[in-house]
Amino acid sequence: MDSQFLVSLLLIVASFGLYIGIAVYNRARQTSEFFVAGRGVPAIYNGMAIGADWMSAASFIGLAGTVMVLGYDGLAYIMGWTGGYLLLTFLLAPQLRKYGRYTVPEFIGDRFQSKTALVIAAIATILISFTYSIGQLAGSGVVIGRLFEVDAKIGVMIGVVIIAIYATFGGMKGITWTQVAQYVILILAYLIPVIFMSLQITNNPIPWLSYGNVVSELGALDRELGISEYFAPFDTASKWQFMALMFSLMAGTAGLPHVIVRFYTVSTMKAARWSGAWALLFIGLLYLSAPAYAAFSRFILMKQVAGSPIDALPAWTEKWVNTGLLKMADTSGDGILQWKEIAISNDIVVMATPEIANLGIFVIGLVAAGAMAAALSTAGGLLIAISSSFSHDIYYRIINPSATEKKRMAVARWSILIATVVAGVVALNPPGVITQIVAWAFALASGTFFPALILGVWWKRANAPGVIAGMIVGLLVTLTYIFLAKFGGFTILGIIDTGAGVFGAGSAFLTNVLVSLSTKPPSQKLQDEVMDLRYPEQLSYKDGEVWKDDKVI
Amino acid sequence: MRKIDKKVADAYFHARVRLIGVLLVIWFIVSFGMVMLAETLAQYTFNGFPLHYFMGAQGSIIVFILLLFVNAYISDRIDEKYDLVERKGKVTKGKSFQS
Repeated sequence: MDSQFLVSLLLIVASFGLYIGIAVYNRARQTSEFFVAGRGVPAIYNGMAIGADWMSAASFIGLAGTVMVLGYDGLAYIMGWTGGYLLLTFLLAPQLRKYGRYTVPEFIGDRFQSKTALVIAAIATILISFTYSIGQLAGSGVVIGRLFEVDAKIGVMIGVVIIAIYATFGGMKGITWTQVAQYVILILAYLIPVIFMSLQITNNPIPWLSYGNVVSELGALDRELGISEYFAPFDTASKWQFMALMFSLMAGTAGLPHVIVRFYTVSTMKAARWSGAWALLFIGLLYLSAPAYAAFSRFILMKQVAGSPIDALPAWTEKWVNTGLLKMADTSGDGILQWKEIAISNDIVVMATPEIANLGIFVIGLVAAGAMAAALSTAGGLLIAISSSFSHDIYYRIINPSATEKKRMAVARWSILIATVVAGVVALNPPGVITQIVAWAFALASGTFFPALILGVWWKRANAPGVIAGMIVGLLVTLTYIFLAKFGGFTILGIIDTGAGVFGAGSAFLTNVLVSLSTKPPSQKLQDEVMDLRYPEQLSYKDGEVWKDDKVI
Repeated sequence: MRKIDKKVADAYFHARVRLIGVLLVIWFIVSFGMVMLAETLAQYTFNGFPLHYFMGAQGSIIVFILLLFVNAYISDRIDEKYDLVERKGKVTKGKSFQS
């Protein structure tokens, strides 16, 4: 056992001891607390919790590598995953909070007064969250597998056990405060290597200011090699694909059930707005750093690794070559490893760079602990969303409305446990790379929930047949386009599978509006409820008049 | 409960909608607008970056964060202007799970 293994393991165990300790300390007693943590979380901490929920294996492990491989085109992920928060905070979060339902499907079911809509929304929640959590568990498997030098499959199994324990017993109350701790650990784990690399390469401790010149220098190195510049726009895909992907990620962000549910944990509309702002600040720290991480990694690989003799490569290379995710072959036969002869997978860039840059065992261990926090915290939020969709929206509202609180609690816990195990089984052989799986989940969210929620909140004329038809059409169009683009080679304007959400959302909006207009308007009561969402929480709209509740002022 | 002039309530709503509209126009320009102009922006540099790369990697995200804080701040001012400051710890109006 080498010292790297011990340090990494110690850091992961210590950080998880902290998370589990907090979860056990806050162990939920009441069902309402289990779902939305008693609605008493201050905006700044809620922002951190949203951040930890949000920053998944795709953001932490995959993002910098994607930007490094795709160059400018990879920035669609950076802008898409941050810009969506504006849609969410401006157009949806305060209204959904005022409406006061516990889950997104419940909102859709009550707003449209339709059990069918509720069930479709619950199924979509389960589908989206499940797709997404497969990526997270696969990511945790890679990290654990690397650490113990065991197969990634065994790593996935270990991850499943950990997540099942704290999601089942902690509930969201545990998870809210656990997420705050996770956010702190994962942001430190991400920033420390970037800052060290910035010092190493540019002598400037502020990576965000220093890496511009590195980007320009990378372009110069590419010109010398005769390949297209690192920052050349639309080099790997069309401009339409860039914008379709960006839209899909933004709309998906605004419609993602496990993120929206976080806004139910604050006490006022005002707190919902501030939560969104703090969340993006905390998330933005990582997203502003990922392109710097990518640029420094590529710079080190081009300047320090490429050009070395093939028989005198540093020790770390063998370790990563053995994983099959890094290929270095002297195809030109000149005894020197050329840049073009290095093939590095997106998913190992973040994990391998601290080793490549020789940042020391503590930093490498910290990155491993941060990656675990990212994968498992998002998986936690997703599994809660699956569990509440099933136990609350399907079981309690449809199957057994007379269930006691104890019974519902048991169903919630069992559904978390089952969902975790099933997602873990699928993650043993993931159907694609992490970022790709996650982009599909966003495309599905933008094709189903985004149109349903926007029209539900802002258009009182939207009715049950409209939303049902809209969600079904959006879901089918998105799924069909993903499969056609991925396996059938069918594309429109060069838009590939990851940008499918733009077609899903477009067709769902259109269907919802057309069907709503050609069927009966919703009841006056429902229309009044939508009018009511225009005003802050202490105002209520009734029979064409607005009332102020002075008791709460 | 007391009645509020509907005109006042609607003025509040329109003030909020105007604010959101302006912020979303800026949001669109710094995201989709900058992507549409990427080839043109590529001719300029900022702080060492080609400008289109800077906008995608830093500029747009910083503007997004600022827009969210501006929205939270101005919305609070609008609430104050219409005497609608919310207090913490009140029971929410929505149906509760237990009831």
